[in-house]
Amino acid sequence: MNSRPDPNESENPMNTPDLKVDALVVGGGIAGMQSALDLADQGYRVALVEKEASIGGKMIMLSKVFPTLDCCSCITTPKMSAVAHHDNITLLTTCDVQALHTNGNGGYTAKVQQNPRYIDADACTGCRQCEYVCPIDLPASYDLDMGATRAIRVPFSTAVPQKAIIDIEHCLLCGKCEKACPTDAVDFSQQPFTFNIETNAVVLATGFQTTPTDAKREYGGGKLLNVIDALSMERLLAPTGPYGHILRPSDGKEPESIAYVQCAGSRDQSLGVPYCSRVCCMYAIKQAMLLSGALPMADITIYYMDIRTFGKGYEQFYQNAKAMGIEFVHGKVARIDEDSEHNPVIRVETIENGRIAERTHDLVVLSVGMLPGENLGPIFDVQPADDGFAAIPDPTLSPSATGHPGVFVTGTASGPMDIVDSIIMAGAAAAQAAAYLETMRSSVAAGPTAIPEVAHV
Amino acid sequence: MTQDKEAARARTAMLKKLREEHKDTIEHTRVLLKKQQEIRRIISQAMKDGAGTVPEIAGASGLPAHEVLWHVTAMKKYDLVTETGRDGDYYRYALVEEASQ
Repeated sequence: MNSRPDPNESENPMNTPDLKVDALVVGGGIAGMQSALDLADQGYRVALVEKEASIGGKMIMLSKVFPTLDCCSCITTPKMSAVAHHDNITLLTTCDVQALHTNGNGGYTAKVQQNPRYIDADACTGCRQCEYVCPIDLPASYDLDMGATRAIRVPFSTAVPQKAIIDIEHCLLCGKCEKACPTDAVDFSQQPFTFNIETNAVVLATGFQTTPTDAKREYGGGKLLNVIDALSMERLLAPTGPYGHILRPSDGKEPESIAYVQCAGSRDQSLGVPYCSRVCCMYAIKQAMLLSGALPMADITIYYMDIRTFGKGYEQFYQNAKAMGIEFVHGKVARIDEDSEHNPVIRVETIENGRIAERTHDLVVLSVGMLPGENLGPIFDVQPADDGFAAIPDPTLSPSATGHPGVFVTGTASGPMDIVDSIIMAGAAAAQAAAYLETMRSSVAAGPTAIPEVAHV
Repeated sequence: MTQDKEAARARTAMLKKLREEHKDTIEHTRVLLKKQQEIRRIISQAMKDGAGTVPEIAGASGLPAHEVLWHVTAMKKYDLVTETGRDGDYYRYALVEEASQ
């Protein structure tokens, strides 16, 4: 029903006219991508706005998914590619939605700013020759600072779009990248660019953040070199990880003893996070199983308060982990220190016998929880609930509706959930958005007085 | 020809303006680069005699092992260092020119 978007418009909005779409999806993680694809497959025109230089969200950083142990990249990359090449989707990266207003026609106008890549995205081939000549190495946030990147870089090996970006805050403006670029794609003249998107529906898929590693000071995260968080372990387990092997950060040793500390950021009133993050038990079990496979001689221990395996196939997954020899210790970890070799020493009270024990490991992984991501209040007028995630007025019968007609929320923006539930909810949000769009079409066909009243946003 | 000169002048002016706007971050990065080059020189010197593990390179260079690991990881990513095998629980790393000899 729609002509293919001009790729120049997707990648070089310096020349982009204002866009008119049926649905605006904010956030290019797994939930946003799934909602965009579900709507686009039904024939609706979609604009997907992502603040980072690549879509993929947190899922593309992960090693494997539970409980199937499918490769995350193998699942996510085709979806990223499908989004980028879909006839009905206009992909806009490095973009922030700055305001959303009702447009008087029953829809909305989003004011969007695209931040410069300092790269002519049409000319860039993603060859990375610029990255190789850049003189400065910087901690790579994609690898949780364990690896390095450069001031000009392609964000990661499977980034979509596969285009370079310059981190201008760390650029020396030395010009080496300009000289190395075979297609003259470096363009320091780019400026932030603001444009409007007219849309009838909005799907918010802005995701989550993890508990800061140093949130619980008694666990030593951010201070003790061999206490890392679970997302860092995901990168160590991924084939594209920073070291190419599972090594501990203090000295590059392959760990022989690895411990997981559960609820290190969830179900903890002292952190103001009383809720269960719903994913930590399963990702810890998954990582423990993957470590068992990668390091067959390693001892792996999981210290837990409760194990919650509520999803399809999850309990069997847990039982399989126990059968593989992973040790589950029912107890609460009180604190973590380190010995003179930087080996973390865990002090734990075991629940079975009430004893205090101290155990030394090579590496400790904190099973950090999920915290709300972007506050959707100021721009989208979607207020946070008590837990800080987006409030859903009727979560039982209308799990994605926000209370503003045509504005929906999906994925972890609405609360902690795993990938399976995020994808299910993304489908639900797309279905609710499609139903709303059909209602609008019927209303428009019936005449202007029949257009539903849209709350001011 | 005149157009080319005008374009070059405009580009120079644009870069000058950009450098002025980002002078603080450029200076910060310049200091970081200088420090990084010094560390790389020390690590490369410690690896001159052949492959070593991170603790060995740290011992030879006097740098903390975690810092050595980060720099060796960065150098490996950009093809300045290569992995040459294992020594117990540790991997061995060599400078690319040393490994190729």
